[in-house]
Amino acid sequence: MDDQGCPRCKTTKYRNPSLKLMVNVCGHTLCESCVEMLFVRGSGNCVQCNTPLRKSNFRVQLFEDPAIDKEVEIRKKVLKIYNKRELDFYTLKEYNDYLEQVEDIVFNLTNNLDVERTKQMMEQYQRDNKDIIQKNKAKLTREQEELEELLLQEQQGSEQRRLETLQEEQRQLQAKRKNKQALLDELEISKLPAAVLLAQHKDRASQLETQIEKQKQNVKPANIFSTGIMMGQTVSLVSVSRVEEVLYVYQPLCFDTYGPPVPELDQLGRLGYLNHVRTASPQDQAGGYTSGLACHRAVQDAFSGLFPS
Amino acid sequence: MKLNIDGLLVYFPYDYIYPEQYSYMLELKRTLDAKGHGVLEMPSGTGKTISLLSLIVAYQKAYPLEVTKLVYCSRTVPEIEKVVEELRKLMDYYTKQTKAKNDFLALALSSRKNLCIHPEVSSLRFGKEVDGKCHSLTASYIRAQHHSNPSQPVCQFFEEFDAVGRQVPIAPGIYNLDDLKDFGRRKGWCPYFLARYAILHANIVVYSYHYLLDPKIADLVSKELAKKSVVVFDEAHNIDNVCIDSMSVNITRRTLDRCQTNVETLQNTISRIKETDAAKLREEYRRLVEGLKEANVARETDMYLSNPVLPDEILQEAVPGSIRTAEHFVGFMKRFLEYLKARLRIHHVVQESAPQFLKDIYEKVCIDRKPLRFCAERLRSLLRTLEIADIADFSAVTLISHFATLVSTYSKGFTIIIEPFEDRTPTIANPVLHFSCMDPSIAIKPVFGRFQSVIITSGTLSPLDIYPRILDFRPVTMASFTMTLARTCLCPLIVGRGNDQVAMTSKFETREDFAVIRNYGNLLLEMSAIVPDGIVAFFTSYIYMENIVASWYEQGILENIQRNKLIFIETQDAAETSMALEKYQEACENGRGAILLSVARGKVSEGIDFVHHYGRAVIMFGVPYVYTQSRILKARLEYLRDQFQIRENDFLTFDAMRHAAQCVGRAIRGKTDYGLMIFADKRYARADKRGKLPRWIQEHLTDGSLNLTIDETVQLGKHFLRQMAQPFRREDQLGLSLLTLEQLQSEDMLKKIAQIAQQA
Repeated sequence: MDDQGCPRCKTTKYRNPSLKLMVNVCGHTLCESCVEMLFVRGSGNCVQCNTPLRKSNFRVQLFEDPAIDKEVEIRKKVLKIYNKRELDFYTLKEYNDYLEQVEDIVFNLTNNLDVERTKQMMEQYQRDNKDIIQKNKAKLTREQEELEELLLQEQQGSEQRRLETLQEEQRQLQAKRKNKQALLDELEISKLPAAVLLAQHKDRASQLETQIEKQKQNVKPANIFSTGIMMGQTVSLVSVSRVEEVLYVYQPLCFDTYGPPVPELDQLGRLGYLNHVRTASPQDQAGGYTSGLACHRAVQDAFSGLFPS
Repeated sequence: MKLNIDGLLVYFPYDYIYPEQYSYMLELKRTLDAKGHGVLEMPSGTGKTISLLSLIVAYQKAYPLEVTKLVYCSRTVPEIEKVVEELRKLMDYYTKQTKAKNDFLALALSSRKNLCIHPEVSSLRFGKEVDGKCHSLTASYIRAQHHSNPSQPVCQFFEEFDAVGRQVPIAPGIYNLDDLKDFGRRKGWCPYFLARYAILHANIVVYSYHYLLDPKIADLVSKELAKKSVVVFDEAHNIDNVCIDSMSVNITRRTLDRCQTNVETLQNTISRIKETDAAKLREEYRRLVEGLKEANVARETDMYLSNPVLPDEILQEAVPGSIRTAEHFVGFMKRFLEYLKARLRIHHVVQESAPQFLKDIYEKVCIDRKPLRFCAERLRSLLRTLEIADIADFSAVTLISHFATLVSTYSKGFTIIIEPFEDRTPTIANPVLHFSCMDPSIAIKPVFGRFQSVIITSGTLSPLDIYPRILDFRPVTMASFTMTLARTCLCPLIVGRGNDQVAMTSKFETREDFAVIRNYGNLLLEMSAIVPDGIVAFFTSYIYMENIVASWYEQGILENIQRNKLIFIETQDAAETSMALEKYQEACENGRGAILLSVARGKVSEGIDFVHHYGRAVIMFGVPYVYTQSRILKARLEYLRDQFQIRENDFLTFDAMRHAAQCVGRAIRGKTDYGLMIFADKRYARADKRGKLPRWIQEHLTDGSLNLTIDETVQLGKHFLRQMAQPFRREDQLGLSLLTLEQLQSEDMLKKIAQIAQQA
């Protein structure tokens, strides 16, 4: 990095550590002071390639290789237009072809190959896919979403842990303070000799200490392996004993309707029940409805409970 | 001897057995029967390795369909060799007893550096160079070029192996690294690829942890190991750190600069190839459109670049369109690189989570999450297409691509810390991006998931229940075994005060205290007068050791000590240290004895044994806590608290105590050995520290050996050493801590044995 310098005034990072290099769309570097001097009017030509440039387009150079700065700039611009997501394609192959096409465009633009034609292609594409571009503008890619989610989880987790430890410390502090206060109170009112009280207090304090220690140990004992099996459990090698039982046999349900027997569904028509029922329209039949079904249910309803029990 | 372990016939290659070995085998058998995982702790020097091997081999022989393979993971090459030697003994015993021909294939596997027999390649010094050179001779496209252009050099050993080696399986037997090399030389086959191929059908494989835990290597070497294998991690007390290291990535400014050159090379190669051989790139493009499944069919030798834990969804999906063509991908890498450079240009420490990083990168350079996830795989494909032979150069860009894949794949368990300078030198800008893994279970999860039994064992695994928690698995057995002893041959003492009653502790507030340093010096001085032969002293850090030794010199203590014994010091330089060690042993051999000053967590504390007279006393100065101000550690502690409900202090103490136990355990390497273990810090006497020592040390810590002064220590030590110096014969041990077959089968001995194992 030290040997990097401004090509115009030949200042290097080594001689001037606060040197700020800038880069414009053509990918050529200039230091900040040179930019100030050359582009007083707000626009001018690049010293090295004579491309017309604007002062407002100068950016601080992030990378050692200014070509990368240029490429990233172009890429960001291209990706704004070519922002289709994986879901917009039917197959992965199509998506991959699309990605390659984007890559080609970026490659051409950075290496100044076929610039005119590529630009035309981009414009064409922009015109053709206006709504998709608009629609996808706000949408993140699936991967981006996943990442965001992971980051959120991480944040929440660390926050929660911090709070937990804080609370734990607070609780311990309080318990200790209480203990101390209790000793003072006792010393004030109790009639026992102070030595005994002190001994008692010491005892209690050590008890408290061990309690805290114990709590710490079983904060959240890991007793489950990632497989979901409890730890410390030895696997029994005895095969699972087989239970010998009689197999279940299905018996059809049989109930009394207290009425005359209802004719079967397929006999309704023959017996003339359907004569006065509205025939099912094709729309009804689409859902699986037949006039027999409704009739059968109505007959069932009518027949049941006719005989007194 | 032949043993009956719970109905299983086990051949044990020795005439005598320790009771705890028998108990250990019982537990192990139960674990295998249940097809579950186990955590077993047994003191070092009681024959863990042979118990493990003889039981599992017997199990394999008895139930060849239940357990097809034993994968034995150890830490270092010497340890691997030791295991193979034990195995050889066992197999010899088998052939002698059963008179049947051995049909077992067991082999050790190590890196190319240890196995290569190619005259040019094997003469290279560094592992990375060997790998790179080997690859430049054996890659599939190099060999294809060789067909059309015979002047292109290839490795004749690999060619030979590739031509015939696969059809003829390697003969059954036990092969250590040298055996493999010999075999390779005889046949003219490459031993490395032979071994890698043979582990697929070998009965026993012995190799290093990394082959199973490091996702980059495991993916290549151990991918096809059968599900019905038993995996053993020996000396596994540090396994969580190994897991974490294998997943973490550190990026410095230099890495990025090297990466920049890599990317430029890539770009140039692409433009060159585009002119000469555009069809190749088009072919790759077509493959990527299809998806990675096809690309996944990589040939064996193209193994150099691989992906850290490829998520399944990647293998099933096609590479996203934005990085499909080579130029776009290079542009993508450039942007990513520049972004990282910009991030490294900071003046204050930044810590953020993976989602925050991803959000920021999208805002700054418009890089989505999905292409990042495919980065490592895409780079691999590109490097293969470009046929770049010398792969060693591309380590930087590979590292970056791994980082990209990991950061976008895991939203939890990792943290990103960017530090503008090192803590020690706050004026020198040296920005580092630590992408550190905090959850060891990520790296080891595939192992637990895949293999039916995984055994974690070591001399120091206390407290046992913490390992299942931090590695997130469910063991069926957890047991700790003690050492049965005919005489108390270890004497742990906790020294808390000097003779002047000033507390001795390496606590931060008092560690620079004049009195503490003097007392430490006096302790060492007194011990040097009474202990015969070698003394090993451990400090908590190199800096602390330097400070103390300097002030001992000023106080004249060092001079007094040197009247009794020579002093050797471990330094951060490996060569210097091994020199010091060698001379230390020489001095011990001479009979006058010596003192070795070393550092807990250093090279000496792990893996170097001080048998018999090399270590008659170990002094641990202070409690070896890790450097708690490190942000990586803090992040890990926080993660442990949130995810596993392990409190910071518990973990720090656990970590300190396992290292302390490792250090003092160096002195006792068997039952005939004896040694003093001196813990010189008053904090060791507290219940929370003491309770975390391994059970076999705790047992010998009586109330009388806590919080001693120096002269009390000297009294106790003198007494102990005099007792131990009495002749000790095998007969004294027999029936108590060493059993013959008859003794083992007696009723009350079996009852006693049942008490040895303590279930956690």
